[in-house]
Amino acid sequence: MGTAVVADRIQFAFTVMFHYLFPIATIGLAPYIAWFAWRSARGNDEVALRASVFWTKIFAINFAIGVVTGIPMEFAFGANWALFSAKAGAVIGQPLAMEGVYAFFLESVFLGIMLYGRRHVSPRLYAWSATLVGVGSWLSGFFIVATDAWMQHPVGYRIAGDGSIRLANLGALLLSPFAWWQYAHVLMGALLAGSFIVAGVGAYYLLARRDLEDGRRYVRMGVIVALVASALVIFPTGDRNSADVTKYQPVKLAAMEGLFHSTDGAPLAIIGMPDTQRRELIDPVVVPNVLSFLAYGNFTANVKGLTEYADALWPPVALTYYAYHVMVGLGTIFIAIAALAALLLRRRRLMEFRPMLWVLMLAMPFPYIANEAGWVVTEVGRQPWVIYGIMRTSEAASTNVAAGETIFTLIGFAGMYFLLGLLFMLLVLREIGIGPNAASHAAPEIEA
Amino acid sequence: MNAVAFALLATMIAIYVILDGYDLGVGAVVPFVARSGEERAAAMASIGPFWNGNEVWLIAAGGVLFALFPRAYASAFSGFYLPFTVVLWLLMFRGIALELRSHFSSDLWHAFWESAFTGASALLAVLFGVALGNLVRGLPLDAHGYFLGRFAFLLNPYALGVGLFALLALAQHGLAFLALRGEGELAARSARLLSRLWWGVLLLYCLTTLASLALPTGSAAQAPLHLAPVAALSLLALGGVHWFTRLGRPAPAFAASALFLASLVLAAAATMYPYLLPAFPAGSGGIAITDAGPGPGALGVTLALTLPGLAAVVLYALFVVRRMRGRVGSG
Repeated sequence: MGTAVVADRIQFAFTVMFHYLFPIATIGLAPYIAWFAWRSARGNDEVALRASVFWTKIFAINFAIGVVTGIPMEFAFGANWALFSAKAGAVIGQPLAMEGVYAFFLESVFLGIMLYGRRHVSPRLYAWSATLVGVGSWLSGFFIVATDAWMQHPVGYRIAGDGSIRLANLGALLLSPFAWWQYAHVLMGALLAGSFIVAGVGAYYLLARRDLEDGRRYVRMGVIVALVASALVIFPTGDRNSADVTKYQPVKLAAMEGLFHSTDGAPLAIIGMPDTQRRELIDPVVVPNVLSFLAYGNFTANVKGLTEYADALWPPVALTYYAYHVMVGLGTIFIAIAALAALLLRRRRLMEFRPMLWVLMLAMPFPYIANEAGWVVTEVGRQPWVIYGIMRTSEAASTNVAAGETIFTLIGFAGMYFLLGLLFMLLVLREIGIGPNAASHAAPEIEA
Repeated sequence: MNAVAFALLATMIAIYVILDGYDLGVGAVVPFVARSGEERAAAMASIGPFWNGNEVWLIAAGGVLFALFPRAYASAFSGFYLPFTVVLWLLMFRGIALELRSHFSSDLWHAFWESAFTGASALLAVLFGVALGNLVRGLPLDAHGYFLGRFAFLLNPYALGVGLFALLALAQHGLAFLALRGEGELAARSARLLSRLWWGVLLLYCLTTLASLALPTGSAAQAPLHLAPVAALSLLALGGVHWFTRLGRPAPAFAASALFLASLVLAAAATMYPYLLPAFPAGSGGIAITDAGPGPGALGVTLALTLPGLAAVVLYALFVVRRMRGRVGSG
């Protein structure tokens, strides 16, 4: 694989992973904001009113950086991946165009009302705006996942005489079960992250003995939703994704699990380091037969190992394996944290039990890592294909863009995103520092 | 059928130019019309709720180009790789500047982001003009339709002239917007500057038109009469900007400025047609709508999905703009 393709891949991975940090928060926080806005529109709920103002500020910072880092993604297909775009644009351009038309306009237009129009509109219209912004961010996620799912598992297409891929059935693309299970998993992952953010910020206020009424509400809501989301992210959505991978991308499954040799009653590796030279998992800790059960619902089923396939068809094994294990390991820890916190909440002890509040506060970054790791499994595990079974990544990059050009722009993006990351942390920590009470008093445009 | 796709794309780009044009224009003129910190804040707040939605037209047009003309999309963005990346960085920087400015109440913080916003907005207006100039002039393309030239090729006198013209035309549009939505002295100063800047726009319009007619490429040289009605429309709209500004009627002046920009996009599109990327030198073909085009089925699907969506966007955007109407004060 030439240097240019490697540079293109590094650039895409870096820019898209940085970008995705922000949609995680907007998708995850949107339902909370809509909920708080409706609560405050319905009646005399001061905490909900303050919460809708406070979380909209956090949301808006995430949204702004999500938008500016998202614009390069749409054009990166044409700029760095011209051959892929020319071949598949008629298919994947379709959901991307729909994302612009159906999701982005909705989000950006109604976010304008939420940020600037509070004094111009009724509480009900404000709540509707919050809802529509949320619908926009969830729809946007759908179109992106549908695009990706098509690249993972192409459906509803035909290959034209000139070798380009044409859309034969848009319905098949948009309604593909592969896409919907992936979408559900992505949504639950983001909702989990949003819940840990809400609960974590609430826990911070309780630990810092300030904004107590608000902090309690955030912790309670965050923990309850986190419990539901952390369960749904594993079952059924995670489980169904694994089943789809087993069925359509068995090499990826083998890499995820670090399974080199086909095995009846394959074990599930909890820990272990894959060695692609010796083709074995080093120092493994395994649970016997469980992989066969998870993949096929049968403890003795045969699971195909990597050695069944030519080396050229393997994805990068170590990266796929570690990313998968980081995601699953964290997912297990999340459900434990959420369950423990929910138990304490039920016994009315959570708000005073500082060790658990510390755990909730410090857990905030980890759902981000799990979400990103999940995408690494999906995308790195798809290699060597850009469109599974149809087009290789090595054949997809622009031939008229030199490696040096891509490296130059990569350095530029790295510098730009370093600055953006610093500014983001500065602004978000500052808003959290100001807090919901001061925020709603300080903002003159708020009319209760 | 391919002509319909071309028309849809041109319409979306025209809407983008009109909408993002005024917020780019406001960015470019802020230091010239807003004297105090309050006025600068008011000028930036006047576009705060809208710039994001305006920019979505660029993203949506990009998506439609991707879906309908994948070869042109692939060729254009890989061919313009470096200049396009610079445009992206400026768009990012500008958005960040606008969003971050209000987060700290420090004069230094404000001054930095205001300058960043103005610089990025003005440079973007120039670069969009340079890109349009090069599209009209044509690009050296290889057998597969990929751009062969280098950065320096794009910086030719014609394209730079169009870039300068674009800066003035968008500055005029931004001033018309501030005259309409600003309050008190800010609006009055914008209107005054607008009537002075207008002469510059007129001059550059005439020069650009003459230079386009002299280009050895495109249908402008082959059939100038084709474009005569469009030129008449441009001049009429441009006259309207001046006329209504002098009458002190900012709303029709802004509408005339929007019509002027639309007529310019129409002229460029008509010059390029039937090519999406005309080749340089003239007569060597290019990527035409027919060879980069979608099948009739795909086009039907795209239109059926895009048009109702865009109609809904226009309706709810108008609703929101009406709800949010009113001049922005300096408070």
